[in-house]
Amino acid sequence: MSDLAAPRVTGRTHGLWVAQGAAILILAVLGGVVIGETPLPLATVAAVFANNIWDAGLIVDPIDAGIIWSYRLPRTLLAAACGAGLALSGVVLQALVRNALADPYLLGVSAGAGAGAVAVTILGVGGGLLGISGGAFVGATLAFAVVAMLARAAGGGSAQLVLAGIAGSQLFNALTSFLIAKSANAEQARGIMFWLLGNLSGVRWLDVVLAAPVTAVGFLICLWFARAMDAFSFGVSSAASLGIAVRRVQIMLIGAVTLMTATMVSLVGSIGFVGLVIPHAMRFVVGPRHARLVPASALAGAVFLIVADIASRMLIPGQVVPIGVVTALVGAPGFALILVRNRRWS
Amino acid sequence: MYNNTLTAALLGAVCFAPMAQAQTAYPLTIENCGVDVTFDAAPETAVTVGQAGTELMYALGLGDRVAGTSVWFTEVLPEFTELNAGIERLADNDPSFESVVEKRPDVVVVQYEWHIGPQGIVATRDQFADLGIPTFVLPADCWAKDNSTGSDGTRLAMFEMDSIYAGVTQLAQIFDVSEKGAALVADLKAREAAAIEKAAALDLDDASAVFWFSSAEMDIDPYVAGRKGPPGYMMEKLGLRNVVESDEEWPVVSWESIARANPSVIVVAEMDRRRFEADDVEKKLEFLRSDPVTSQMDAVRNDRIVILNAHSMDPSIRNVTALETLAEALPEFDLQ
Repeated sequence: MSDLAAPRVTGRTHGLWVAQGAAILILAVLGGVVIGETPLPLATVAAVFANNIWDAGLIVDPIDAGIIWSYRLPRTLLAAACGAGLALSGVVLQALVRNALADPYLLGVSAGAGAGAVAVTILGVGGGLLGISGGAFVGATLAFAVVAMLARAAGGGSAQLVLAGIAGSQLFNALTSFLIAKSANAEQARGIMFWLLGNLSGVRWLDVVLAAPVTAVGFLICLWFARAMDAFSFGVSSAASLGIAVRRVQIMLIGAVTLMTATMVSLVGSIGFVGLVIPHAMRFVVGPRHARLVPASALAGAVFLIVADIASRMLIPGQVVPIGVVTALVGAPGFALILVRNRRWS
Repeated sequence: MYNNTLTAALLGAVCFAPMAQAQTAYPLTIENCGVDVTFDAAPETAVTVGQAGTELMYALGLGDRVAGTSVWFTEVLPEFTELNAGIERLADNDPSFESVVEKRPDVVVVQYEWHIGPQGIVATRDQFADLGIPTFVLPADCWAKDNSTGSDGTRLAMFEMDSIYAGVTQLAQIFDVSEKGAALVADLKAREAAAIEKAAALDLDDASAVFWFSSAEMDIDPYVAGRKGPPGYMMEKLGLRNVVESDEEWPVVSWESIARANPSVIVVAEMDRRRFEADDVEKKLEFLRSDPVTSQMDAVRNDRIVILNAHSMDPSIRNVTALETLAEALPEFDLQ
């Protein structure tokens, strides 16, 4: 924990960091828009941006224009919002439960989303009003409510929260399997699996409008409680002795995490790895202080998921690999590298 | 003179036909999808797993032998509505192993290996064989097709109507109604040839198409027809190029790729299934016309959209009807 004594970030270097981060993010977004399944010339991309932002009135094939502005840009922005949200959720949960294995789905959110999606698809719950995403969101929040109540009934400690999360996840996963076994045929189950593995292909502007504010609010909450999270790293009693309103901070942070993960999982399915590994990777890079860890993780998560999405469109020509597969495929070796290099430094 | 020759030929055909299709000699052993199946006599009762098999039984006049049906994709063909109403439906979807066995069928007629096959979700063929129940899988699902890869299997070679005709002929042979089988095949072949001829008259040179089956979510990448299944065959025969280049039966391809390929015709599947929102043909049309990208496609702007029954896109005797529907629609489209 020696990094806690790291020199204070001055205003100027702070501004530099923010500018660098923004530049990296914009580059990644541009990459996500330019690189796709079908090759589109850079000039076309530029023309489409000019037309949409400055009303330039350049002549572009309407299909190309639609692909860039209505498919690829929202898809890339959602990947960014989603990656940032999941990474932030990982940071918060790892700090609160003081467990290196904590990931955003620890609280049963992913399992609940799966059960909700299956209930809508197979049982027809909601009578067609909910849709898969709506069902997933309801399921995710319901599962979290069950886990939270169970953790509370068990005494409310962080160990209890982890165990309640495991119990809740198992319960909702079993419910999903039961529903599939009971009433679906193989074809039905396949459609759901396709969705559960994570898929960004159906993303449109509406999804971005839903997800981006959630991530923005989550980010601000995390940043606001950055010092509190530093304190939580030493345990709840230490945090309390430092004058932190433990209960209130916990509720705010866990509320933000639930909202973020439930939104992301219901929009794009459960994408693993990002929330677990990005915070660890960033701890190696910027140290454990949350004032830096929170923005660094948000940025790294956003960029990482954009890159993973680009890879998912390029790995097999003419076919899209589920992004959940890619995040682990690309992320695991990268993380291994960070682990090994870190050993050499220390 | 011409008339006389024709009459003679017809007479000859009528006279020789029964001789060509002699009565079935039992025990009959048939190699069926890699399994030898033996019948000691014409089956008295049958259970069907898959609508294609059910309708083929009806078409061969074997409705009275069907003790139970299952795996329904859509309404039964209109000409069989009355007949079908009197036959027990074991399940709308997959029947359980026991519900099939309980009927004590002399044969189980199977449409897809994923129901009854090496990894069948109802049962394996061995499980039925252990109980002395022979199974017959319509050969269209295993001819030059690998059902162990790809979600609906992967075709090793282009689907051929001959695999349908082989199914008709073999099933007719099993039930000792070879004459009816031959007549049905002859009728289907004549209709197939007529439809192909009709499209050939258009002299299509640069026309292309995509078959959209459904999508897991409305905006998500759709399930479209691969190169080598029945839709691929239909497109090839009618002079249309399939813009999808996958050998999977129903691969998932992005709207981005489809829109850029910009096919001249879009064929959308109409079905009774309501598993996904996009199963509804109206929702499909609404999406095509409102999505910022697909609405710009030539086929959508010029309303070159054909609605086709989904079941007629999977191997069955309905493929011929689908071919006819397409051949009917194409001349309206002013294609090159």
